[in-house]
Formats: sequence, structure tokens, C-alpha cells
Amino acid sequence: MIAAFVASVVLGAADPCVPVEPAAAADPVAAATYRAVAETEAAKGSPGTAILAYRNAAALDPRDRASRRALEGYCSEGRRADPFQDGMAKMDAGDLRGAIADFRAARGRSDDPSVALLEGICHYELGEDRDAEPLLVAAERSPEDSHLAKFYLGLLALRDGSASRAASLFDAASASPGISPLASDLARLARSEGRWALTLAAGSGWDSNVNLAPPGAPPAREADGLYAFSATGLLRPWGSEGPYLRAQGLLNRQFQLGAYDVAGGDLASGWQLRGERWSGLAEYDFSYRTFGGSPFLSSHRLLASAWAVVGDFTLGATYFARFESYADGFSPFSGTVQAGEVRTSFGLGARARLALAYSFARDAAQRSILSYLEHGPRAELRIVMARGVRLGVDVAATFRGYDVFDTTLGAQRADTYLDSGALAEWDLSRAWTAQLGLRGRYALSNVPGFEYAKVVPMAGLLYTFSP
Amino acid sequence: MIAATYSLLALAISAGTAADEHLLAGAGAFRDGRFDAALVEFRVAEKLGAPDAGAYAAAALVKLGRPEEAIEAFASSPPGDDDLLDWYRALACYDARLYNCAGRLLTGLDHSGPKVAAEVAGLRGEIARVLAPEPAKASIDWYLARCDERRAEGRTALAAAYCREAADLGARRKDRHGGARAKAELMRLEPAAARGGRQ
Repeated sequence: MIAAFVASVVLGAADPCVPVEPAAAADPVAAATYRAVAETEAAKGSPGTAILAYRNAAALDPRDRASRRALEGYCSEGRRADPFQDGMAKMDAGDLRGAIADFRAARGRSDDPSVALLEGICHYELGEDRDAEPLLVAAERSPEDSHLAKFYLGLLALRDGSASRAASLFDAASASPGISPLASDLARLARSEGRWALTLAAGSGWDSNVNLAPPGAPPAREADGLYAFSATGLLRPWGSEGPYLRAQGLLNRQFQLGAYDVAGGDLASGWQLRGERWSGLAEYDFSYRTFGGSPFLSSHRLLASAWAVVGDFTLGATYFARFESYADGFSPFSGTVQAGEVRTSFGLGARARLALAYSFARDAAQRSILSYLEHGPRAELRIVMARGVRLGVDVAATFRGYDVFDTTLGAQRADTYLDSGALAEWDLSRAWTAQLGLRGRYALSNVPGFEYAKVVPMAGLLYTFSP
Repeated sequence: MIAATYSLLALAISAGTAADEHLLAGAGAFRDGRFDAALVEFRVAEKLGAPDAGAYAAAALVKLGRPEEAIEAFASSPPGDDDLLDWYRALACYDARLYNCAGRLLTGLDHSGPKVAAEVAGLRGEIARVLAPEPAKASIDWYLARCDERRAEGRTALAAAYCREAADLGARRKDRHGGARAKAELMRLEPAAARGGRQ
């Protein structure tokens, strides 16, 4: 009898506004028990089950005014609306707190992993990772929601500094065609976020104007092939937050014009801080370069950088001071370079991100005719083309004005540099990445001898060791 | 598994008392996936004196995504008597991020049937993945904080579960971070938790 009564009452029973049909036989004692359960559920903030129990109580006891009043209260609170739909609307409108409350209410009515997923995403967006994880784990058990849940669990792991776990979750999520490009891209990034990484790069290309010769005037433009090797090691004992040590060695050699070969190394250490929606770092870097096989430059650089997520935008700023010491023959260039940049980036759809930046730099060299101030805008577009395939395009303009009149040149030099580049990357496997790049520069100057144009196409391979 | 729960309940109910009828109605609702209705019926049965109704209500709470309440509801009966309820008990622990608690309960389900065994193996794999790295200090601190919060709310069984998890995680670190504090809290909480059953 009870089972039949329950079945009849629960049909549309979660709606407190639907009139309660009296049971075939009144049972005030059972009604009181239902009401007691309803009051307990209401006190626990579970309106779905509370309404259900109140309706049972009201059906079994037509004189149960307390239950009817409670149902009227829920009805006037607008409980007629579907909390899931309400939650979706609030989520779309950016009211994540409101959406969480509605999704929680919806989960009180039915055990739907999709609702848990959405509630978990809201918590993630609010930076409440601890609350998000169990919901996403619950959604992960549902085949329909598993991939997206794994994707967000990967984001949580990444934010928690568990890069290797994040990478494996992104890998698993990338089995879904809808999120595959983004997930596989994030898997690659996560692998580079681990406690250590060693990246080896080898490439070859061609430089159309090695000696930066002006058009139609001496010296003659010299083009040459080139090859390059580099190795970069990164050690972060505490993960993505805390201290880090970075070392890099590089070798860029021309096939024929050995006087333009560059080799060198960098050793940097720094500390990165990371909040829920912001990050910052401070770094010291020592750099050494040779040019044409001879000592060329050593420098010490102090850098600070910070960025924060504000709404749909990431805002950032960077400043550094580099104390440069050039070798004999180049020593007039020695001095201090200070540079800063402000930037913002934002998504363009699900697969593209655009970054806009404006930079300033001041080079105070030993000789004032070599000192300058420069500034200019830069734009970068990054597109995830397909799973493991990315394309980046950037353009920049730099306006440089030298401090003083150069009597040798007969002018106070002013240059403009227009730079552009494109880079396509293809992840051949978890560790191997193929690259195709093209860089170009067009230099304009009020001194014709400093005008030049060059393009450098390159092809290369990267191999990354990481945990 | 749900059908098995329903059958188990149907067999367990020996007489047509009011409590048993509500228990049976709850089992029917559970079988049909109407977990809110199941919870209400199990709660009514519990108030009418059905001895196992609290544990079945706990299973419904697990399905409703209310794992902390489920853990408290399970605390009224010790584990080990019923594999199906222990499975839901483990799920409650897992959903509340009490991974060591879930792992202990799954150990007792080694000899369950093949269908349960597959689900147990899957959940065990998830737990192994979560527990593979050395626990972070921040993670242990979170469990200790949750223990404090729940104790302040008077939810001692739940507080003990969080402190026990902190102690288990602390024991997996070389510096035993948080372990002493968690054990001290447990000393205060255990009498109450012991009365309610140990997860």
C-alpha cells in the first residue's frame, strides 16, 4: 500500500505548487513522520526531498496545515522553476554562485552526473578547487561526461602543481573529438610544467640577409644557410610555485659565414608565486655570448613579471633591467637596458587566443650616440588547428629614437622595425615536436645604411624529457 | 547492483509492519532511480524503527550527491555486514575525498561477485591514482581544517573521518606533517565516533 501511495504521490511530486491529492485513507501518524523527515531535510538545505516529504504528509493528513504552509512557502519562493534550467541561465549570465545553488538543488532531485559536472565547473571558475574536485570525479564516472570531467580535473591538477597527473588527464580527455585539440595542447603544456624538464632542439634554415645589408648599396647582401642547436633545462623542486633554476645552452652557426656564428649560455634562477587567479615571478639571469667565435657579451638581468585573470582577460606586466658588458671592440655598447611591457590576452572562440602588448625599452650605452629609447605594439595570435597541431602568428612594430646627433652619420638616427613571424608546431608524439617557422624583418631608418630586410625560414625538431 | 539491493531488502523484510512497508517503498524508488523518494521513505522507516533503514538512507544520500551526510548516516551501523552497503559506504568516502577511508572499505569487498569486483577495481584504480604522489602539506591542512569545521558544527563522526584521513596522509610523508595534530584530535573525537561506528 505504501509503495503504491509513494508511486502516486511522487509523480510530479517535487513541484510544491501542484495541488496535493488526498490519500485514499488518512493516516495522521504517518503524516507526522513524513513531516518530521521533511523538516530535517529542509534544515539540511535539501528542498527537493523536503518538498517530497511535505507533500506525502499533506496527502496523508488533510488537516496538516504545517506541511501545506511549508509547501506554499516553497511555491512562493519560485520553486516551480526547474533549478537546472535556472542554473544554466545563471551560469551563462556569469552568476556562478547562483548557478551553484541551483545545480545543487537540481542534484537533490535526481542523481545526474551532468549537473554535477556543471556545478564542478562553476566551482572551478570561482577558484574553489576543493569543492570542484568531488563533483568532477562524480561526473567522471558517467561515460557521457567522462571526457569533459577529465579535462576539468586536468585543469585542477595543473592549478595544484600536479603537472604529470594533469598531463595524463588531458591525454585521456583528448579522446573526445570535441575537446581533443585543446586537451592535447594542454597535455603538452602540462608536461612542461613539471618539477623538471629538459628540452633539446635542433633546426636548420636560411637567412636571406646575414650581414643586414641595405638594399642597392654596399656592402653586398650575404645570404647563407644555418643550423642551430639548443638545450634548456628547468628544475622546479616545488612544482610550478616556488623557486626554479633554468639553464640554457645554444649554438647558431652559419654554413659559410662563420664570422656571424653565435654561441652562448644562460643561467637563471627565480621564484614564482601563484594565486587562484594571478601569478608573478622574480628572476635573476646571467647570460654569456660569443660572436664569430670570440667573446662578445656578458650580462646580468633582473626581471619581475606578474599577470592576473580579470573576467575573460589576462592582464600582465613585465619589467627587467639588464646590465650589459661587451667585449673589446664592442665595449661602447656596454651599459644598462631597461625594458617593460604591458599586455592583455583573451580567447577568440574555443581554439584561438589573441595577445596584445605594448613595450618600452631604454638602452643607456657607454656612448650617447648608441643610447636610445624605443617602444611599440605587438600582437600574437595562437590557434589550435587540430589535435597536436598549433599555429602562431605575430606582428610587431618598434619605433626607436637615438639620444643624440651622430656627427659621423650626419644625423640623429631614428629607426622603425617591422617584424612578423609564423610558427607551426606538430606534436609527433608525447616527447617529439616538429616545427616550421618563418621570421621576417623590415628595418627603416633616416640613415639609409641602416635600412634592411630579411627573412629566415626554419625547420626544426624538439625533444622534451619530463616526468 | 540496485536490483540486488532491492532484492536484498525484500528478503530482509519479514513482516508487513509500517516500517517495513516504507523500507520496501524506498527500495522500489531506489530501484527506479528516484533517489529523493527513496531517501524520504528510508528516513520514515528509520523513524518508525526499521533497524537498517539508516544505512539504506545513506546509500540514497550517496546517489543524491550528499556524501558527508551519507557518512554520518552510515556511522550508525558498522561496516562488514553487507557488501552492497559497504560499496556505497566506500563511494561516500570517495566522494567526500576520504580516499584512505574508501580504500579500506574496498579491501573488504575483495570477495564480492564479478560485477561488484569490476566496479571495486575501477574505484581502486582511481584511488591509487589520487594517492600516488606524496601528499602535499596543503592537502593535509585542508583535511585538518575540515575536521575542525565539522567538529565545531557538532558533527563528530564526520570530523573524526577527516582527522583520520589527515593522519593517514601525514603518515605517508617523511616529515609526518599534521600527523600528531590529527591523532590528538582523534583522541578527542574517537569516543563519540566510536559510538557511531568507525568508517
